[in-house]
Amino acid sequence: MAKRVAAVIKLQVPAGKATPAPPVGPALGQHGVNIMAFVKEYNERTAAQAGLIIPVEITVYEDRSFTFVCKTPPAAVLLKKAAGIETASGEPNKKKVAKVPLSKVREIAETKMQDLNATTVEAAMRMVQGTARSMGIEVVEG
Amino acid sequence: MQWLEIAVSIPPEDVEAVCNFFVEFDTGGVAVDDPAFISAYMDLPPDAVVPGALTAPEMPVVRAYLPVDGRLEERLARLRQTLTALWPVAARGLKTRLLDEQDWANAWRAYYKPVPVGRSLVVKPSWEEYRVDPGRHVIELDPGMAFGCGTHPTTVMCLELLEETVASGETVIDVGTGSGILAVAAALLGAGRVTAVDNDPVAVAAARENIIRNGVQGIVTAKQGDLLAGEWEPAGLVAANIVADVIIRLAPAAAMLLKPGGLFIVSGIIRDREAQVRWALAAAGLSVSRERRGGEWVALAAGRV
Repeated sequence: MAKRVAAVIKLQVPAGKATPAPPVGPALGQHGVNIMAFVKEYNERTAAQAGLIIPVEITVYEDRSFTFVCKTPPAAVLLKKAAGIETASGEPNKKKVAKVPLSKVREIAETKMQDLNATTVEAAMRMVQGTARSMGIEVVEG
Repeated sequence: MQWLEIAVSIPPEDVEAVCNFFVEFDTGGVAVDDPAFISAYMDLPPDAVVPGALTAPEMPVVRAYLPVDGRLEERLARLRQTLTALWPVAARGLKTRLLDEQDWANAWRAYYKPVPVGRSLVVKPSWEEYRVDPGRHVIELDPGMAFGCGTHPTTVMCLELLEETVASGETVIDVGTGSGILAVAAALLGAGRVTAVDNDPVAVAAARENIIRNGVQGIVTAKQGDLLAGEWEPAGLVAANIVADVIIRLAPAAAMLLKPGGLFIVSGIIRDREAQVRWALAAAGLSVSRERRGGEWVALAAGRV
């Protein structure tokens, strides 16, 4: 019989630079997973993307073994890259820090559609636009 | 060490921006309890999921952590202030909780059981009872926070290669020893002298404890060091269960130290990097004579050509 799932965990941690400290430690430790084994494996798999935050979905089984899937960078990170900025606006309603064209938003929405649990590209685009708004990034035609 | 957990409930469309906010706040990442993600597993048939193991919150919850230190109060105040300006509803519902490293660091011990490895070894957690099997060497281990508990395929494959290749009285160097598991195994398998090196003082301390635990302190010496820097005595075996990049860098120095007929045992290589490691070994004048595969991982043993 296949092993049964005992826990599922979603994290966003720096590629190639995860450590046993939080958020990794408590998230995995409370389910009895060997934290160092995950850290070593995650860092090795994501080494090539160092500098980016990578979302990871971890499945923990009854015997505390685990598997994990690394996702594409978060929409927020892709937006910052597209806008050419390092940090989001601290006052997104008043202070816009950058502009990105709608075509770029569509591109990001297509990349992230599955991770965002969106059923259509339009739904994913609305989510990406919402993220952009709360980061002080203005979406413009084009 | 203590940490403050900060948890905020947030509508799905704001999750990405809130995660970004915490990451930009230097929290080292976030954990997300995402109901859509968890529910997908809850819908699986009962033979695929432990009944009652999964619960999904109504709204996504983002968790981030700050270390409890002199800066905590100031950082938390600044975080609350910015969060209130951006997501007032979430900020009002913000929950904090103090966590002690001990709360999570040792939970895995309950699930760590003795594991037989290869034909003649057993890795046994030091706190577990085990009926001794006369045919096997028992490695008593408490890895603490160091890597190498004997259940990961990279370690298992390395142990199997050691079992096949350690000759009686051999000189062995274990680079990146972690918990010291490979060094202890080499000693139990008959090595005459073992040097266990790690650049992490936490690992060196864990390795020293495990060496004493197994009564092989007369054979194994653990020390802090940078790979093979400072090693000059020829060795019959050099073992490195690290990662591809480090092994590639290490290959020339390891080849220099090997006695004629000696072997360089390497593990921790993810399959995508295997070709590069093989190339580096060949470039260092080493020829692969044994290999092991487990899951996504590869271990190799290479000798001087």
